[in-house]
Amino acid sequence: MIRLEQVDKRYGNGHVALSGVNLVIRRGEFVFVVGPSGSGKSSLIRLLYREELPSSGDVYIDQFHLTRMRRSQVPRLRRQLGVVFQDVKLLPQRTVYQNVAFAMEVLGASSREIQKRVPAVLELVGLARRKDSFPHQLSGGEQQRVGIARALINNPVYLIADEPTGNLDPDTASDIMRLFLEINRRGATVIMATHARDLVNQVQRRVIAIDHGRVVRDELKGAYGHEA
Amino acid sequence: MKPKTLWYFGRETGYGLWRNGWMTLASVSTVAISLFVLAFFIVLSVNLNHVAGVLESEVEVRVFIHQHVPRPRELKLMNQAKHWPEVRQISFFTKAQAAHQLQSEFPDQKDLLQLIDQSNPLFDGFDVYTRKPTQIAQVVRKFRASPLIQSVVYEGVVAKRINRLTQVVRVVGWGIEALLALATLSIVSNTIRLAVFARRREIGVMKLVGATDWFIRWPFVMEGVVLGLVGAATADVSVNYGYRWAIHAAVTAMPFWPVAPLSLVLQHTVWVTVATGLFIGALGSLVAVRRFLRV
Repeated sequence: MIRLEQVDKRYGNGHVALSGVNLVIRRGEFVFVVGPSGSGKSSLIRLLYREELPSSGDVYIDQFHLTRMRRSQVPRLRRQLGVVFQDVKLLPQRTVYQNVAFAMEVLGASSREIQKRVPAVLELVGLARRKDSFPHQLSGGEQQRVGIARALINNPVYLIADEPTGNLDPDTASDIMRLFLEINRRGATVIMATHARDLVNQVQRRVIAIDHGRVVRDELKGAYGHEA
Repeated sequence: MKPKTLWYFGRETGYGLWRNGWMTLASVSTVAISLFVLAFFIVLSVNLNHVAGVLESEVEVRVFIHQHVPRPRELKLMNQAKHWPEVRQISFFTKAQAAHQLQSEFPDQKDLLQLIDQSNPLFDGFDVYTRKPTQIAQVVRKFRASPLIQSVVYEGVVAKRINRLTQVVRVVGWGIEALLALATLSIVSNTIRLAVFARRREIGVMKLVGATDWFIRWPFVMEGVVLGLVGAATADVSVNYGYRWAIHAAVTAMPFWPVAPLSLVLQHTVWVTVATGLFIGALGSLVAVRRFLRV
């Protein structure tokens, strides 16, 4: 379970990104975080994988108290999370297969585990046939699938995505969205910050709307709404 | 550590060194030069120690007896001294023998020899050898305590001065080395920083998926250590050949000068250069990686 209690985030320049945010996200949920640019969506996402710490308030993910945990514990937290970005952050000199395998390799997985798991995940995201391609040989949608495969490879409990469809055309974006739904159906909790009004309206899942750093709406079967 | 992890670290280390070829070369050279300078000062101090040691072991204490002392009392004192535990060997010489020795040592000093011939101003005395160089001072003190003794001369003074010189060389050497080490540290650190920078994307992904800081750090630390060790090896090889050449030159130019043997020199230089290289390499990379690992 993810829990935010009275979370404020102020940056050094005085900008208030989040203010008094209280949230509970249970395991297995599919949650959209929506809002206009600069509303605080990305700040919220960054707090979840502890890229940043709140200025005040508490963030909990399962047994981890993010605001109090020691730095040395952060890797253990992150192994529970898969993170997907708008700018996928692939390693340009490695193939699709190597990019995904890398995430297992650095956690000390055996070659046998890697050889078993990577093709299965590439199959899931529909890239089995492109495993030997390099990132620059892929379309934006395919690159995003690699990013998703990498986020999934270590079996995360939570899949966190920051505008994963931001750069994609509507058809590709809707493909990617279906992939996230499938992943959620298989048990992972998905938290996705997005601008994609149509997609949010289509799938009818929980929507948390943020505006000026505050949660202005939290609906279980929501739509994109008028805030954006 | 699993073999696979070790293999991963080794591969990443080699990759990093290869990718920054020129910087690797620059770092290794700087480390090597810096350690060579360090080794140079060690060689100097080992040699001064060696000279002091040789002088001390060859030293004889010369004891001169007052002019008026009758021969039997002189011999009695010698017999007493023979039984001192520090004394290895003692022999008596008359002032005539002393004059004769002077004549043979300085055959060209006509005026001096004439003066000695006319009225020998020298003294009777003993040549004394101690068992250990450190006992010289004690023996000298004992002789000086006797009212029969006019003066005591020994070469320990020279040895002492050389020892003091050795200390000065050491202090100056370490001072210069400390400055060089700082410069070397910054170059090694910059090389590693380049390697870290070249791999910042990988590091980002590694942090994101939950690799530990030490897992990320290790290849860079190993890279630094390799730079340090290769630099040290280069310095040691240079010292080896350089010193062989120096010994050869010294023996030809100054056959009487006691040169420390190569094995003695290497005994002192190798471990210091290797340890310093290791330290500089590891510290340089830790400094370089630190900033990039802030979560």
